[in-house]
Amino acid sequence: MNTSFMKKKIAVLGATALAALAFTAAPTVAHAAPACDGKVPVSSCVGATSDGAPYSMMVPANFNGTVYLYSHGYRYNVDIPAAIPLIGGYKVTNTPQPGPNATVIQYLLSKGFAVMGSGFARQGWNGDSGVATDVELINTFKTQFTKTTHVIAWGESLGGFITQGLAEKLGTQLSAAAPLCVASSSVEAELKMAGDFLWGLKTFFDPSIKAGNYSAGAAGYAEAMADLGKVFTVMGKLQVGIGTELATGKPTWPDTAPAAIAGSGIPARSALLLTGLMAGVPTQSAHFDGTTGPGSANSSSYTGFALLGSPALGVLENGTNAAALAILATLDVEQQSGGAIFDNTKTDYAAQVASEASTYNAALSGSTATAGMLAYLAAAPRATATSAAIAKMRGLLQWTGKISVPSVTMVGVSDPITPAGNSTYLANQYASQYAAQIKANLKAHMPRGSSNLISIYGLTPTHYTTFDATGSPVTSTAAANGTNHCNFTTKQYTTVADMLAYASTNGKNLSGGALTSAVRKMGGSTADPKFQATLPKFYSQD
Amino acid sequence: MFVSRRNKGGIIAAAAIAAAALVTSALPAHAETGVTSSTIKLGITVPLTGAAAPGYNKVPAAMKAYFDYVNANGGVNGRKIQLVIKDDAYSPAQTLSVTNDLILKDKVFALVGTLGTANNEATTRLVNSHGVPRLFVNTGFSGFADMKKYPTTFPLFPSYATEAKAMGKYIADNLAGHKVALIYQDDDFGADALKGFATAGTSFVAKIPYSALSQADPSVVGKWITSIATAQADTVIMFGVTSATGALAGGLYKAGLIGKVQMILGSVGSDGTTLKGLLGPLAPALAGSIAASFLPSPSDATDEYVNLFKSVNAQYNAGAAFDNNVLVGMNSAMLTVQALRAAGANPTRASLMKAIEAKGSTWASAAFSPILYSAKSHVGYTGYWFGKLGTDGNAVSVDGPGKYTLYTTDSGTAPVVKSSPARTAMPAKGLPTN
Repeated sequence: MNTSFMKKKIAVLGATALAALAFTAAPTVAHAAPACDGKVPVSSCVGATSDGAPYSMMVPANFNGTVYLYSHGYRYNVDIPAAIPLIGGYKVTNTPQPGPNATVIQYLLSKGFAVMGSGFARQGWNGDSGVATDVELINTFKTQFTKTTHVIAWGESLGGFITQGLAEKLGTQLSAAAPLCVASSSVEAELKMAGDFLWGLKTFFDPSIKAGNYSAGAAGYAEAMADLGKVFTVMGKLQVGIGTELATGKPTWPDTAPAAIAGSGIPARSALLLTGLMAGVPTQSAHFDGTTGPGSANSSSYTGFALLGSPALGVLENGTNAAALAILATLDVEQQSGGAIFDNTKTDYAAQVASEASTYNAALSGSTATAGMLAYLAAAPRATATSAAIAKMRGLLQWTGKISVPSVTMVGVSDPITPAGNSTYLANQYASQYAAQIKANLKAHMPRGSSNLISIYGLTPTHYTTFDATGSPVTSTAAANGTNHCNFTTKQYTTVADMLAYASTNGKNLSGGALTSAVRKMGGSTADPKFQATLPKFYSQD
Repeated sequence: MFVSRRNKGGIIAAAAIAAAALVTSALPAHAETGVTSSTIKLGITVPLTGAAAPGYNKVPAAMKAYFDYVNANGGVNGRKIQLVIKDDAYSPAQTLSVTNDLILKDKVFALVGTLGTANNEATTRLVNSHGVPRLFVNTGFSGFADMKKYPTTFPLFPSYATEAKAMGKYIADNLAGHKVALIYQDDDFGADALKGFATAGTSFVAKIPYSALSQADPSVVGKWITSIATAQADTVIMFGVTSATGALAGGLYKAGLIGKVQMILGSVGSDGTTLKGLLGPLAPALAGSIAASFLPSPSDATDEYVNLFKSVNAQYNAGAAFDNNVLVGMNSAMLTVQALRAAGANPTRASLMKAIEAKGSTWASAAFSPILYSAKSHVGYTGYWFGKLGTDGNAVSVDGPGKYTLYTTDSGTAPVVKSSPARTAMPAKGLPTN
């Protein structure tokens, strides 16, 4: 095993969660008309909305009337002490972000489009305030740039959630929308995955992890920081232990694991895999494909690694990336809601993993071992939420899947933070609306009408795990297509941007051969309308 | 940027309509995925590489050989059958990936003979959402007959629960009083076996589960042998894949127990040529082991299906060693051809599945048991016969060469019925005319 695996995660996590920080900080300006530098060929404007969200607008001299409004993803709403592994040193920022990255922004500007985006008034889970900020930002832009004819909204992760919420609020005031790697329809749905995963880690590997129900104020912050340290530590121990177990056949558990499970003879990798499966964490990650092993494809070591080790290592890599967000988002939403928000007192984890347990039977060490682990979980203390906090959390913005303007979703099938099933759920919600529309059109002797939604999924290659000369997996390469959080190429971004421009101009989505051709040129993607990703556990329990 | 053609005027629109009319008139009345005027494209996933490949990797080539034979004789309603073969190395993740390719890129009409319980489980969501027929899956997991959960899936093998019940009956009739140990793969495969043996009332002196693939670990095999010895078992059932049978034989040999305990092998763990490859000179030591089968013995020179498939194998499969895997592949291919023919001159996925439900129970097949397909059942075969392995690795019926007693039952609580085989005669030259 590559012992520098955890270190490699620093780069991955940094790229995932902190990409928003690449832009130059803008001065906070009191609510007023934007201050523009008037430069040619691109004029840059800054300002702040009435809620204090700093924003940035970039308008080319040949502005064609269409502006792309970008909503950025989740940023931690607390500073992270430098001593915390992987993410230590993070400082809260509300730097505005007018696009996914500088290359894409430049691409749009070169085509005559304007771009804009804010840094939002608050960080953390900010769906309601984010939509309000975006609404105000659109009005400010239109007032400042009266040539504006079309507004296209797009965003990623929580920004995708805000984009969908905005699209549902504004309807045809937008001309197209793209909720990319969209967060679940509610924070409750999003945090079920986090809650199940953290509870599993706690129960199997370190009962001292608090995993939610944090105290109010500074005490809660300290508890969450302690949890971050413990979770990263246990992940590191699991990584070493799995490597040892795969090499020696001897199950090796973190020393913090309860004896009842650590002494069961079941490998820790199987418990970690079960934790991932019951939470809905993908088993394919940036560097672990579940299909490739070291050496000859016909050797037992190759098959053994691919089938027994790789799925657990995939969960480990994905879980390490997701754990910080799980803890910090839980702290954030608990503090917004006034109490514990994760409740698994009625969760049937056996039912939740029923189909996956069959697929991953070998990696779970067989049915007997799986039943033993589930029995252990069934007997373990559960997390209880506060009913008032649940009610308050449920009062936060939720999207319904209503679509009024041409829309495009895009997500990798193994996104570990905003699962691809979120996009499928959105498509399923829209499907009934579309079916009703067809029925009404046909009844009125009108054409059926085309779908307002294109769902694009980034697919993982069949093989992408690589090994060094010693047979250890290499984790320093770029994340594979379809993996990691909102992991898109410039080509994928610009193709979606082009689709949105087309839709904005034509009032309908690209379709037929043109759509097929565009998606093919993106590489590694499908827009097959029948493609369905696995739904997150929150929805599949419905 | 994508260019809007919306405003380019009526001339272009009119030309497009006219052109579309011309194209439409040249096409058949429908356009189904994977079907053209001259071809039908099918797909299969199997382990061609990896630890599970030996034996199973022969199935797709055998299927293709039979399809080539049919194609050389006119195809199906004038269309040639193409088989796209994908290696999944027995990894569910790889099965899902290559099935994505088959459905989204290759755009196959149907899947046929996809192998492995977990592997087929892994692709169920994809298969169901696209409505792709999944014909004659190579697994005996009884759950795949659940039409609500797997509406497009048609199992063919008798279920493992059926096999265990038949085996239990055979033991009760022929090995009463023996001290029997059971080694089983600890997954849906083994769960089916436990269910069947429980229904049959078979008692064991030891039940030994093993996790799939752990048979490659010598310490695991060592525990099997210790358990067998401790329980003083004189009979051992191996309800696992062929590599597990090989591992057991090796373990018994090392312990000096080979030949001293009666081995009973499940249908997916007893292929003679595969065992030869795994065990080398030790393979003949398995002679006398009892094995369950639902197809005739590959060495049965009196069987018309075996003889036909042997000749096809010689001509279209480069003379690959003829064994159970070749027999399974060709038999599935023959059923597939009948299904495609029954689906009509312009087959659709819906018409294909409807045809199997309506007529599949009547089709010619090498197996001795009836097929139970209907609008209310996706259950395939329901019966086994028992044979003993010879030194050549092939099973010969316990009743003598070419004489088969069929043990028929279901996956539930129905009794096991012994009968003489009765099957549909093979069509002339093995070319379906249904």
